[in-house]
Amino acid sequence: MQWSKSILFASAAVLALSAAAAHAENMPKRIGYVTNYATHEWYQNVIKGMKAHGKELGIEVEVQDANLDIAKQVAAAEDFIAKGVDVLIITPVNEEGVVPLLRQAKAANVPVVLEGNPVKGMTTMVAICDYDTGYFSGVEAGKYAKEKLGGTAKVMNVGLPLLSATVLRSQGFMDGLKTIIPEAVMVHDLDGGGNPDRALEVSSAALAKNADINIIYGINDSSSLGGLQAWKAAGKSQDGLLTVGTGGEGLAFINAMQNEPSYRIEAAMFPEKEGFTAIDAAVKLFNNEEVPEHIVSPTAPMNGEDWKKYYDYDGTTRTIKWDAVNALKPPAKCMKTSADLKK
Amino acid sequence: MSLASTASLKDQPSMLARLFARQELALLVCLILVLAFFSVTVENFLSVRNLTNVLGQASLPLIAGIGCAVVFISGEVDISIGSLLATIALPLIIIMNDSNSLLLGVGGALLFGLIIGVVNGYLTAYAGINSLIVTLGTMFIMRGGVYLYTGQRAIPDDASLDSFIALSDGRLFNVIPYSAVIAIVLLAAFAYMMQHRPFGRQIYAVGGNQEVARLAGYDVRRVKFICFIISALLATVAGIILAARVGSAQHTAGLNFEFQVVAATVLGGVSLAGGIGSLSGMALGVLILQFLSNGLRGLGLPTEWQLVITGMIIIAAVAFDEAKRRRANGG
Amino acid sequence: MSELTHASAPRRSIGGQLLGSSQLVLGLILAALCIAISIAAPQFYSEANIIAILRQCALVLIVASGMTMLIITAEVDLSVGASLAFVGCIGMAVLNSTHSLALGMLAALAFSGGVGLFNGLVVTRLRVNSLIATIGTMMMLQGGVYLFTREAVQNHNRLVSFTDLGAGYVGAVPVPVILAALIFVIAYVTLRFTTLGRYLYAVGANEKAVRLSGLRSERLKLFAFVVTGLCVGVAGMILSSLMNAGQPTAGRGFELTVIAAVILGGTSLLGGRGSLFGTLLGVLVLKVIDNGIIILGWNQDLQMVVPGVVIILATYLDIIRNKANVR
Repeated sequence: MQWSKSILFASAAVLALSAAAAHAENMPKRIGYVTNYATHEWYQNVIKGMKAHGKELGIEVEVQDANLDIAKQVAAAEDFIAKGVDVLIITPVNEEGVVPLLRQAKAANVPVVLEGNPVKGMTTMVAICDYDTGYFSGVEAGKYAKEKLGGTAKVMNVGLPLLSATVLRSQGFMDGLKTIIPEAVMVHDLDGGGNPDRALEVSSAALAKNADINIIYGINDSSSLGGLQAWKAAGKSQDGLLTVGTGGEGLAFINAMQNEPSYRIEAAMFPEKEGFTAIDAAVKLFNNEEVPEHIVSPTAPMNGEDWKKYYDYDGTTRTIKWDAVNALKPPAKCMKTSADLKK
Repeated sequence: MSLASTASLKDQPSMLARLFARQELALLVCLILVLAFFSVTVENFLSVRNLTNVLGQASLPLIAGIGCAVVFISGEVDISIGSLLATIALPLIIIMNDSNSLLLGVGGALLFGLIIGVVNGYLTAYAGINSLIVTLGTMFIMRGGVYLYTGQRAIPDDASLDSFIALSDGRLFNVIPYSAVIAIVLLAAFAYMMQHRPFGRQIYAVGGNQEVARLAGYDVRRVKFICFIISALLATVAGIILAARVGSAQHTAGLNFEFQVVAATVLGGVSLAGGIGSLSGMALGVLILQFLSNGLRGLGLPTEWQLVITGMIIIAAVAFDEAKRRRANGG
Repeated sequence: MSELTHASAPRRSIGGQLLGSSQLVLGLILAALCIAISIAAPQFYSEANIIAILRQCALVLIVASGMTMLIITAEVDLSVGASLAFVGCIGMAVLNSTHSLALGMLAALAFSGGVGLFNGLVVTRLRVNSLIATIGTMMMLQGGVYLFTREAVQNHNRLVSFTDLGAGYVGAVPVPVILAALIFVIAYVTLRFTTLGRYLYAVGANEKAVRLSGLRSERLKLFAFVVTGLCVGVAGMILSSLMNAGQPTAGRGFELTVIAAVILGGTSLLGGRGSLFGTLLGVLVLKVIDNGIIILGWNQDLQMVVPGVVIILATYLDIIRNKANVR
């Protein structure tokens, strides 16, 4: 029994080795990923993408969760460095907070790939362009408003001032919207906390103050859905309303697009693809290859049924269609980044 | 009545000391079990690098835990320490960025911490408001104030002083993180104060039975007031180290930190009812929880399991401790 | 000596008038707030806004009703926020598979009541301090909910009765407000007019004396824990109806809002003293502040600062008033 097991293991190892050898590059054995908070669907799907691609390449991807706590993020990364991973991937809980961590990794000769947010002194970052994502969904929203909403655009922005990424999305959305409807206005600019119950609460109060809006924009799906639920709870019909979500991080938006008449546009950010790209970047760093400072991961606005192009959905889980997503060409550079925000 | 109770007060230390000795033994066994379990199941767990890393990570709850325990022993609570961590980082980083001086920054932070301690202490000890309410209030006010002031942006440490960076990366003899050294020194100093100085005895007396302490001639209000200042200043030291570890003033720094510290302190046998407990017990409580979370991370357990297991262990440990205490008291 | 001063406190509040000490202060604060906000922003008094405020109050008040009883017995439950999220997910999952509102509610109540029972048993049997015990439960529930579901449980049942639970109206009154009023009244009557209520005060004021008089103080505390749990069950289902999904991330910080409302309402954390009417005022004050800050278009970060000031101030004014009475 014991014997046959070890034979199995040995043959598996040989198989894995030969798979790795098939690649031209050296493969890191272990990659450690410290995520922002793994309980969020976005990060679950980032992890899914990483593990899937890691498996293809024969890399063990270990994941630690900072659970929104910067101190825990530092601790988890220290653990990984002590354990001797070959490359670190980090989604910073906060852009400023991981500077010492990069310093420590450098001292220990562990290359670091950042996911999501840029950090001073970084080598490379894999991230979407937040402003562009908002911008193109804004353009689509403008077209929709021109066609179906009589050409007016009064927006309730369920935002999140906490992060520069989410501020950029809101800005991009308004700028994109204004290219089609120049007189578009932002009626409410809210801090929905990025979570659904907080978004519901602040949107309810804002709508009670002034319900003369016809577009709800959310910086993530929880925010747009919280805003929409507030609209419904106020007893209003969804005729003449457009809801625009951002992220497409989980199942919520699919459910909303199927069942909520106003939920017509979703800016998809393909978390699986972002994880996939981060692993590629990690392999390049491991081999001391030249990489751009910002590796852009693609996004795309999805109207109505468009999501079916990119995802299979069987009622309980969604599966990304890699061919369709890998065919998307990301821009080489973002229109606007958090650096522009600080100016 | 007063005679009898002052007499029993004098008996207390030795009697309690014996009880604590046993309690700490149980905690020590618990810690060794944790270490033993993970040394078998997690690779590199017992490596010097990992052990000293954990000591560095534990320095924050250890230092703040001293203050927490002192306040508990005096019969009060302070749950504002998490927000305090975020608050004092502001003067620290801003002053350092302006003046390029660690000393001035730390001085500014300590001054802020002192003010917060005075406010908490005054409202509790002299205005007579329940300390849970006071510190719940200041917790909200400080966190909201930090958000307002920073516009929910972290402030980076632009000065990058070597001395400040050393608080995060530096190690004594290249082995023990300086933050852990600071924690150990503070722990030793305060443990000495609690056990061997008159003021320590006063804190135990005030927390044990206020009336008796008053009859014994202690200024109950003053003792409590000072305990809150101690707590705030120690949390300030923890906040300075945290700011170094994250290289910035973080508006979300220390969220839920108070839960972590309170749990460790109570796990360490310090009673919320006041008058009972020791700093060494608290320290063991912190170490148990820190090694536990390090080990659980090492096992690669997802956050949800880490939460569930930590929650269960806290309840189980306190329940076990309580059962033991009741048996010892014969009831 | 200290026991004597303790024992005198509950007598005053049990016998206290409807508008007892702290309620008067709080009522004045509430009135001042409403007047000030509506002068600055007339929309505050619009029907839509009042309904929005009441709906937000409903969730907090339901749980705060149970929590008031619990704190009166000198215990506290910090796990209600985590439980709120978990209950919503379980309720929605059961609704989805059974298409029955009754079964969904039952599952939610069974779960949340079970959490209350667990907390109560840990506190009364294992003698773990309730602050610590419920921090432990909070962690277990926060972890547990993600073991149950990693993503929001979507509404696949499309039951109208379920949607009405959060967003429906009876006449002009939102359903959650009616449910909250119902629970509030039951709790109010129980605390004020029944022997059970008197015992709850007595347990909080002086547990030893109660035990000596032959009452099972553990049972009374257990009761308060379970009631608090059941209240969370109702609130959790309303929230999941409002969100149209069971959200594992919901309820962050909810426990602090509830406890803040209860102590703002004058209920003593030491037990034995407090009233539900005060809790109602506490909930209203906190939620009016929350709403007012948005209506006035102020920086939302003030939503943390102002309640902090109000909690300390209200308690302090109450103490000053009490001192004046004694002199």
